[in-house]
Amino acid sequence: MARVPIGQNLFKSRGALLAPIMVALMGTMSVPANADDFGPVKSMEVNRDLADLGKRLFYDERLSGDTSLACATCHQPDKAFTDGKALSDAYTGSSHFRNTPTLANVGQRAAWFHDGRLGTNLNDVTRESITETYFMNMDMRIMQERLKQDPVYVEMFEKAGKGTPSNGGARSAIQEFLKSITSSGAPFDTGDLSASAKAGFELFKGKASCAECHTGPRFTDDQPHNTGVPENPDIWSEPDRHVTFVTYAKFMGVENYMNVRRDLGAYVRDHRQESAGKFMTPTLRELTYTAPYMHNGTMASLADVVEFYNKGGGNSANKDKRLHPLNLTDEEKSNLVDFLTSLSGNSFDVPSYNPGEIDTDYPVIVDWRQQKN
Amino acid sequence: MKNRIYFPFAAVVMVASSIAAFVAPVQAQERPAMLAPLGDPPNPADNPTTPEKVELGELLFFDGRLSGNGAMPCSACHLPDAGWDFPEKISLGYPGTTHWRNSQTIVNSAYYGKLFWAGSSKSLEGQARSAARGGVAGNGEDDMMEARLAFVPEYRKRFKSVFGDTWPNIRHAYMAIAAFERTLVQTDTPFDTYMRGDDKALDASQKRGLDLFTGKAGCAQCHSGAMLSNEKYYNLGVPPYDGWETDALAQITFRFELYAKGVTQDKYKKYKDDPGYYFRTKQVADLGKFRVPSLRYTKYTAPYMHNGMLASLADVVDFYNAGGGENEFSATKTKLIKPLGLNDKEKADLVAFIESLSGDRMVMEQPDLPPSEPLPASSN
Repeated sequence: MARVPIGQNLFKSRGALLAPIMVALMGTMSVPANADDFGPVKSMEVNRDLADLGKRLFYDERLSGDTSLACATCHQPDKAFTDGKALSDAYTGSSHFRNTPTLANVGQRAAWFHDGRLGTNLNDVTRESITETYFMNMDMRIMQERLKQDPVYVEMFEKAGKGTPSNGGARSAIQEFLKSITSSGAPFDTGDLSASAKAGFELFKGKASCAECHTGPRFTDDQPHNTGVPENPDIWSEPDRHVTFVTYAKFMGVENYMNVRRDLGAYVRDHRQESAGKFMTPTLRELTYTAPYMHNGTMASLADVVEFYNKGGGNSANKDKRLHPLNLTDEEKSNLVDFLTSLSGNSFDVPSYNPGEIDTDYPVIVDWRQQKN
Repeated sequence: MKNRIYFPFAAVVMVASSIAAFVAPVQAQERPAMLAPLGDPPNPADNPTTPEKVELGELLFFDGRLSGNGAMPCSACHLPDAGWDFPEKISLGYPGTTHWRNSQTIVNSAYYGKLFWAGSSKSLEGQARSAARGGVAGNGEDDMMEARLAFVPEYRKRFKSVFGDTWPNIRHAYMAIAAFERTLVQTDTPFDTYMRGDDKALDASQKRGLDLFTGKAGCAQCHSGAMLSNEKYYNLGVPPYDGWETDALAQITFRFELYAKGVTQDKYKKYKDDPGYYFRTKQVADLGKFRVPSLRYTKYTAPYMHNGMLASLADVVDFYNAGGGENEFSATKTKLIKPLGLNDKEKADLVAFIESLSGDRMVMEQPDLPPSEPLPASSN
């Protein structure tokens, strides 16, 4: 069952908003009782004008405090909106302690950031990313006035129905652009799978047990789990990264934060000991663009990841009980890698996701005294 | 280097006293009651000045760790070589922004009861925190700045010793900076020496200027006391910052300040000049008012006024001689100033007197900043 016909899964949306539509159509569509949960990622409904505005904002460095970085600085379109680094760079004068996550299908996540600390919506994710001191360190009141100074934005906000440029409007536009980022064209979806990849899919669902957590069109259960990924020692040996971790841990209310030498992951959500070391199951879409892997970038290749799971994951007292040595043969491991590779589709480095060079100069308002602010 | 700051004061006072003792009886000159020499700086009970604390504060004053991008220390806008302020109309802004008011000198800021042009901080401790965090100034965030300090072994040692901190506390950083700033004082100017009894400390022109200052020119109505400031708020009709007409970044910052400091939507759209003290009281009677600045050390702090719109002390005297200026808040312009009818000689005398309120230039080299190091794993 390597190939999944599109029609079977077209209406199996995970989105609550689409549930009534699904129910209405169930009567007329034939849905096999044992239909797989895997299939193409459905695109989300998007307001094009608003998403276009969001696209420009996403690439605009003026959305950071010192105007040196845009969302796209760490979320680069040619890398499926990651940065190719084990650990992200963060804001000027800082370094991050986590790997930049892909934004492929980001609107369909149930919770955001590797620790899942935001479970509300993309509006909050956008606000957090712009204002947090180690992300873009932007006072959004300044951001609003920057946007108002740029006639291109004045026009785009108007066209998108958001009136005068505002922070709320900017966030909803970025949110709309994020919702538009949808995977497409993966061999797995088009059916253009090699025999090895097909064998890999069977292992994925069967012997290797990957589908225990990597389920659904995005191949994630949207839950945090502890797989025992080893710590990235750079976090603790580079003061700039460790400083960022301390800043984060302090804000998240972690006790004794100066003496923690471990990324606590989803612990920050509920402060329960059993949550320590859990990280959100990442999507497996677009993996060929997003190396290195894991929340802290400690695995360089998909082969490394498969090997990690073949050994039953890493060492952690809280490790998920479902992990166990898999005893995969070299061929099986290779099959799995081929399958994982088949989940990567078209590049996002195309005009619909990348506006190209944008003009970030501000014109002076020449008749300033006569104009209303 | 710091000896240059502290020692001459005591020396000059002693010389002045001895001269006064032997020479004064010949012809005692009266000293104006509304002015006074500057005494020792305050030593607040809740943050007493100690040499150790001052040393720590000096390091922190120059340390970019106390800013958002790690590169905007206090000294970025308060340059020791440029009068401990910034030598432009408007202070340096955080990268990507411009500021919107003139940077004020640190020298003698110890004596102010109100910091910032609209008096929004009551203490140097509060001023340091606001500046480190302001979006067009340091743009730092306390948790991050505090975390940075923890990775500097030298700071861990000093914060422990001065404040008893296990880990450096960011509030204590602001206290140390304030303690350092309280040592940047100048109490031995020609004016001070004169006021303490040395008739020869001012020359004839300066003495005439002093008479004008306290008399015909009316300056001492507001520029009174040892600081030559009554720390009240007035609108003089200083013209608006001209950069708002020509600089896009300045236009952005101006609107941001209206937004951030909280005015109504209607006023946000309307105002084209800095409402000043109004931001604090929200009373229209306070529109365009700013706290009277000290005139001490002004020889080194050009340009002048809250927005740097007057280039020289001579320009300032001309401005008052014309009875002040015009801005959009004319309804609140103070009645205390009116055309003075000063002739050129009188204007020159006034400038000469104002210059007597500054002693030698106070300079200081940037100290070597201690390095960050990885934190060893905890033992617990």
